[in-house]
Amino acid sequence: MTTNDGLSRRSLLRTAGLIGVGVGASSLVACTAESGGTPAAGAASGAVGAPDAADLDKAIKAAVKGKEIKVGFTPPVLSENFTQIENAAWRKMYEYEQRFGCSWVWERQAPVGDFNAVQGTLGIVQAWVSRKFDAIAVCTGANFATVQSLYKNAASKGVKIYQFNQPAELYPEDQLQTVTNVGYDNRWQSGYLAGKYIADKLGGQGNILQIWGPSGSDWTRGRRIGFDKALTEHPGIKVVGEADGGYVRDKGFTAAQDLLTKNNKVNAIYGENEEMALGASQAIDTAGLKHWDGKEGILTVGADGLVSGYKQIRAGKLSATVDIGGVDQGQNLIEAIFATAVLGQAVTQIINNPTQVVDKSNVDWHQAYTEWALAAPKKYGA
Amino acid sequence: MSTASSRGWRTRALQDPAIGILVLLAVASTVIAFIEPTFATRGNVTNIINAMMTISFLAVGMTVVLIAGGLDLSVGSVMGLSAGVAANFLADGIPMPLAFLCALAVGTGLGLINGLLITKLGVPDFIATLAMLSLAGGALLYWTRGVPILGYMSEPYYYIGGLRRVVGPITIPMLLVVVIAVTVAIVLNLSKFGVKLYAVGSSSTGALHAGVRVDRIKIAAYAISGFMAAVAGIHLAGRTTTVPPSIGSGYEISAIAAAVIGGASLLGGKGRVVGALIGALTLTLTRNIINLTGVESSWQAVVIGLVLILAVLANQTWSDLARFVRPRPG
Repeated sequence: MTTNDGLSRRSLLRTAGLIGVGVGASSLVACTAESGGTPAAGAASGAVGAPDAADLDKAIKAAVKGKEIKVGFTPPVLSENFTQIENAAWRKMYEYEQRFGCSWVWERQAPVGDFNAVQGTLGIVQAWVSRKFDAIAVCTGANFATVQSLYKNAASKGVKIYQFNQPAELYPEDQLQTVTNVGYDNRWQSGYLAGKYIADKLGGQGNILQIWGPSGSDWTRGRRIGFDKALTEHPGIKVVGEADGGYVRDKGFTAAQDLLTKNNKVNAIYGENEEMALGASQAIDTAGLKHWDGKEGILTVGADGLVSGYKQIRAGKLSATVDIGGVDQGQNLIEAIFATAVLGQAVTQIINNPTQVVDKSNVDWHQAYTEWALAAPKKYGA
Repeated sequence: MSTASSRGWRTRALQDPAIGILVLLAVASTVIAFIEPTFATRGNVTNIINAMMTISFLAVGMTVVLIAGGLDLSVGSVMGLSAGVAANFLADGIPMPLAFLCALAVGTGLGLINGLLITKLGVPDFIATLAMLSLAGGALLYWTRGVPILGYMSEPYYYIGGLRRVVGPITIPMLLVVVIAVTVAIVLNLSKFGVKLYAVGSSSTGALHAGVRVDRIKIAAYAISGFMAAVAGIHLAGRTTTVPPSIGSGYEISAIAAAVIGGASLLGGKGRVVGALIGALTLTLTRNIINLTGVESSWQAVVIGLVLILAVLANQTWSDLARFVRPRPG
């Protein structure tokens, strides 16, 4: 099994198409036109210039034979982040439907409750397995061993399981029972990036607060590993307080208020996800403190890459966030399903997508890219 | 004051289970103030009071239901849906009073439905309100499509959310909690409805034989709980400045815990508004102390659980002590 950790050609192509409205599209396409990938992705690249694109589309269409692909999509909760991923998936589904003549049946179910409502996820997956879905895409806070057992059972019944946005990097790859894991490395592509960004902006010296997700969360565990690594590289950065913000804004707000009361010399607040970071931003406002203006004030950094977060970056209320590549995750999830469940190809066990710290300097294209995904045809769902 | 009346006052004070919790909170706060100097600062006290507002609204409503011998598991979801109604209507340009009225109508209406299901169709309280928890939560999820509601905030709403202060450290939610607590306390202690509510909770059969229309009292109790959940939702939407689809998740447990810590009985017939507020304070104070003292997050749930047990034990111990000192007849 191998890992695809690089900037994928597919995502570059999509990005290129987007940026093409403004700057640099032709150069990006030129740079990526010779990369490898699935035939479907190859056809996509042909669409922007290769002479044999129509033939390739035709050939794939013939192989697909109008197949209907039944996909189940179950995020741990319904949230803005997972809505973005889902819409990006719909974009790709619509594209493949138009180009290759396949059709999609899409069902989304999320357990009722919070990230810990894992029993709901297990029930949803079991129901879809018994209904013989072609592909089931899962993101869950459930115990690793429990879900691998479930996935193995699904595979034995011919149902392919795909994980998305899951911290698969924390577990032995050879124990993963999924077809593939479309996500990113929470340690180095999220926690580390945020920690390094803060350290760089503060010039390697300063006091920070951390608002983490619930204890036991794999996302928290992964991001903490990366953030700690950044801290060891910048010993002048001191963590002066941390609290559990439960991944929600009001708890993040309250936790940040409490910590800011205790620590009056804080230079930055790291919210492990964007909702908590935005709650921390409110706490800064309520305390009458100053947001980071590029030189002074309190830096607030989150992670997710939500349109609502981008708007707060523009408004100066959120200094930065780590875009965890939600749009690419949605698109590559569908590409992986198409490649494996329709064309019968094999893909790598880990497909990591590009991530990036987003601040005022690059928020425009990140927001445009996400909004492009959100404008997906709604024929598959809400 | 005569010796007899003075003894009566002392006895009543001793019999008040809330005193036990207050003693516990006072001891804990004193200790923490020595350990963590920022704990007793004006800023932190303001933070604590602001943070307890949402649970306070819910706990007052929950106490009314518990007194009536019921249980309302739906308050978190009803709060969330009401928050969604208020936020969405405001975002659509509907005037604030109308948007809030609609949110209150939704909350009260869902409470009424709970009451009707329980009294008219005989659905057990637990099941009816559990179903409503799911229905209201699902409705918000469906309505929002999983996307938070944004763009509804205005300057007045910052005040309603407690993000702006009216005078000194005083915020509108603080004033509202006082007004609501006093009103509900008067209703419970001085009105016929209050007497009937306690009677229904103590023995619905006995109350029925005494001519109390038990069904009406229970329906009213659930409607009040729904109304309070809507008030909490309107407040929370202002405090968080966004309404994510899972906004009310888990709040029902905090509301029940606050009411029970404050002396309400899950068996009905017991409970006080001031107790509910003390219960809300206990929960909020616990989390504040955890944050200030840097308790490792893995231990936070354990600490909260221990505090709950301690609070209820303090409540019971004080009641036992009151029985011990109570003057015996003859």
